[in-house]
Amino acid sequence: MPLKARVLIVDDEERFRFTLKKLLTANGLETDAVGSGLEAVEALRQRPYDVILLDVKMPGMSGIEALAKLKKINPEVEVIILTGHASVDVAVEIMKLGGYEYLLKPCPMDELLAKIESAYERKTARGERLRKAEATQAGEAS
Amino acid sequence: MVHKCGFRALSQFPHAATLLCGGLAVVLALLGEVVLAAFALMAAGVSFLVVRHLIGLVVKANEQKYRLDQQLIQSQKLAAIGELSSGIAHEINNPLAIMGQETEWIKHLLKGDNLQAPGATDELRDSLREIVSQVERCKEITHKLLDFARKKEPLIQAADVNRLVEDMARLVEKEAAQNNIKLIRGYDKNLPRVSTDPPLLRQVVLNILNNAAYAIGRDGTITIATRQPTADSIELTFSDTGCGIPKEQLDKIFDPFFSTKPPGKGTGLGLSISHSIIVKLGGRITAASEVGKGTTFTIHLPVASPNGED
Amino acid sequence: MTKDFRVLIVDDELDFLETIVKRLNRRKIDAKGIDSGLKALELLEREHFDVVILDVRMPGMDGIETLKEMKRKRPLMEVIMLTGHGSVESGVQGMQYGAFDYVMKPASIDELLEKIHEAYARKVLHEKKVLDSKLS
Repeated sequence: MPLKARVLIVDDEERFRFTLKKLLTANGLETDAVGSGLEAVEALRQRPYDVILLDVKMPGMSGIEALAKLKKINPEVEVIILTGHASVDVAVEIMKLGGYEYLLKPCPMDELLAKIESAYERKTARGERLRKAEATQAGEAS
Repeated sequence: MVHKCGFRALSQFPHAATLLCGGLAVVLALLGEVVLAAFALMAAGVSFLVVRHLIGLVVKANEQKYRLDQQLIQSQKLAAIGELSSGIAHEINNPLAIMGQETEWIKHLLKGDNLQAPGATDELRDSLREIVSQVERCKEITHKLLDFARKKEPLIQAADVNRLVEDMARLVEKEAAQNNIKLIRGYDKNLPRVSTDPPLLRQVVLNILNNAAYAIGRDGTITIATRQPTADSIELTFSDTGCGIPKEQLDKIFDPFFSTKPPGKGTGLGLSISHSIIVKLGGRITAASEVGKGTTFTIHLPVASPNGED
Repeated sequence: MTKDFRVLIVDDELDFLETIVKRLNRRKIDAKGIDSGLKALELLEREHFDVVILDVRMPGMDGIETLKEMKRKRPLMEVIMLTGHGSVESGVQGMQYGAFDYVMKPASIDELLEKIHEAYARKVLHEKKVLDSKLS
């Protein structure tokens, strides 16, 4: 899969981040990992990421809080929430805040990769539409 | 309550009505008015039936209420079990997620000639080792849970609480000193011997002191005090100058699986076990805290045995 | 309180082991020493002990593992954990796995004796409770 998506992993379990990063990198994705919502916000401010994998349950800043903050910094970044438990209200909350989707932990690799791929595609497609719209507007203005 | 009073009034009224009708029936019969007497008799019978019916209604209402109360207790129990189960699910999910990842990595290493790459077999061993470690973690969680669920009946003995607390304090002190944490004692010298379960109480004290040291991290104090607020109770307080607990979390700290520690460090069961131990010992435990200032745990215990032993 | 109860000391530090056993014997306590967890468990198959003093950190089978096995095989036997470097974590663990008490080295012989007597008192109480419940 020739995806050049830049992925950020946000999870407070160190070993989980460590191995997931190896796995994603082995599949051709440029990956970074941080251990908290706070660090994720900092990271997104400094580098552009396409897809963020965000654990919902973390001490300190919760996943939902982090989602809101990350979307504020860059509304185009696609965020996939990783959760140990599926609940309708959390899902609704995620959608309202602009999350792409949620996945249940533990998640098989092929499913995760597929989700990252479709999230990335949505981001690039949206980005293209935006640029086209901007170009048209600029063309009209001039 | 209302229907009890109403019932009493009602029960007397139809009773009077029954008597009245019965009396009327007799009078009518004596007067030779047989048909009217029959009607009066029927009326008496009806009011008797009315009384019986009303009594039946009240009894049913009470039964209903009892059943609802039982259901409430049961559903509260189920709610507690539900909470516990979701707690377990969350706790075990993390090790499961890690194990899942490690097996994915192992599958990756076994693909094609990945295993030939330098360091690949070391990675294989490392992943397997990690899986074993996470299995251990799951085992610990389930064991602690079984301990929590198992009814550990306290064995009551007379205990010198000051000495018991001091023993545990000295245990924590050595390690705490390495992090520049001081322990200050304020024991009431006249504290009476208390009927309690010493090993269970030791567990609680050790847990609280351990948490206090962890909350402080480096440079701080833990103050321990005992006193006898009333003739039949004693009070133990443990105050630390640690990070404190925010108000929103304060009423959850005795919940099973609630933990402010990073994953893998502690199971979050310590305080909930401590809480159930203190309750079993006939006492109560509370916490007060201010973020940035510290936390104080207060334990009250009865001097005499909670269940009349010793 | 009868003094004819038996105490087993389990510690890999041989000097300490010999000293403690000697001192306890001098105080008329029937005490025996053994230098490993594994050997202690084997000994428990053949001989009866009421109280065990168990070092937390030993090579081979460590204190906590030994404690777990002991509580599994002889639930009424009381175990006092012993440690040279107060490890609070193992203290917490030990208490959770049923240790009666926890003592730091160096422990005075008087302190040790006091705890041994308390542990034995608890064993007697526990046995009585079990017997009473069986009768009812």
